[in-house]
Amino acid sequence: MKQVISLNVNNEAHEVAVQPYDSLLDTLRGTAGLTASKRGCDSGGCGCCTVLVDGRAVYSCMTLALQVKGRAVTTVEGLRSNGELDPIQQSFIDADAVQCGYCTCGIMMAAKQLLADNPDPGEDDIRKGISGNLCRCTGYTKIVDAIKLAAARLQAS
Amino acid sequence: MALTSVETYHNPENETAVVQLLQQYEDSALIVAGGTFLHGLAARGLLSGVEALIDIRNLDLNYITANSDGVVIGATTLFAQLEEDGSIGQQPWLGAMKDAISYPPVQIMNAATVGGSIAASCPFFDLPTAFLALDGAVRAHGPGGSRDIPMEAFFAGLFENCLAPDEFVTAITLPQPAAGSASAFIKLETNANDLAILNVAVALTMDRSNTCSQARVFVGGGTGETPARAGSAEQALVGAVVDAGTIDRAAEAAKSDVDPISDHRASAEYRAEMTRVLVARAIRKALERAR
Repeated sequence: MKQVISLNVNNEAHEVAVQPYDSLLDTLRGTAGLTASKRGCDSGGCGCCTVLVDGRAVYSCMTLALQVKGRAVTTVEGLRSNGELDPIQQSFIDADAVQCGYCTCGIMMAAKQLLADNPDPGEDDIRKGISGNLCRCTGYTKIVDAIKLAAARLQAS
Repeated sequence: MALTSVETYHNPENETAVVQLLQQYEDSALIVAGGTFLHGLAARGLLSGVEALIDIRNLDLNYITANSDGVVIGATTLFAQLEEDGSIGQQPWLGAMKDAISYPPVQIMNAATVGGSIAASCPFFDLPTAFLALDGAVRAHGPGGSRDIPMEAFFAGLFENCLAPDEFVTAITLPQPAAGSASAFIKLETNANDLAILNVAVALTMDRSNTCSQARVFVGGGTGETPARAGSAEQALVGAVVDAGTIDRAAEAAKSDVDPISDHRASAEYRAEMTRVLVARAIRKALERAR
């Protein structure tokens, strides 16, 4: 049975009608119209649907919309502040860390938690931090570079 | 998500309400917390009759307590909380548990729960193998109250356990072992997100002369419908001075204790050989921690 809930996404309240089995990913993309979070494997294996719930990275395809009622969801659409890209977004551009781009939104959200927890991660920390995200194009080297660049910029700011 | 038979999502506030819901729905309700295995069950056609999901995260089962009797971990404790808990992270006897949660990616650490990883009764999961080596028990709540079920008696087959239809898992208990105990776990995997090709957990109690007084060795991930106990490997260890020769004998014995399957992840032959290799490595890892 559908029920109407209020989802807090990027500090905005979205009134959405969801079935008990609707995933957060489907609700974000289909009902709320926020399509940055991508559907890849749709079974928790690729990471391109990664969003933050109360600041912690989760697979939105594996999370039911009803499970995040009353919690703060952050997607890539919510990273920009005051019209400026987040340092993580800008660093992915500057380090050429994007090829086809399908994995990028999810990896940036995993990086968001990583850098919040550990402002000065080593290469191993970064690779562990994004181990739940697959990239079929880049071989990860430039992605790791981008996260290092973002860490340096955040520390300098 | 292919869960379209689900009509209702319940958020009960206490144990009694959960039991009432389980009795009301009989076989057509499923307990959820993190929900990370719903896909896995749905993909295997195991959720087709599920009408209701019962979320137990409002029950205050989110805790870790440690005292001289051992450790109790509430069912909805997240993997991430286990990793962050300073009081148990450095204990050599809990090494196997610490190792088992070092593999998942952050998205699983933030969602998956300790109780769920046991209640799912999936032989390819990692914490069951680790908790079996630690001689853990499952605390279940039902209409008659709570009972503790030894982990070895809990698993009853592929995605099957010995819970009654109106019982659910509320905690995992791990008994404090004798002084000189240490454990280790190793997972063989293709990538951070895949289920184990094979996993091995070893728990040892060592005396001052490097003699092993107790040993528990378990192998999961493709060794059968439940993780397998490597009894002859344990026999090779107990009473012996654990040197290179003993380790080789125990590891070789472990190979004869398991009857692995062949699937898309690996052949039975590969799993058998890797049982030998990983049991030896896990014994060495546990020994280092026992010192």
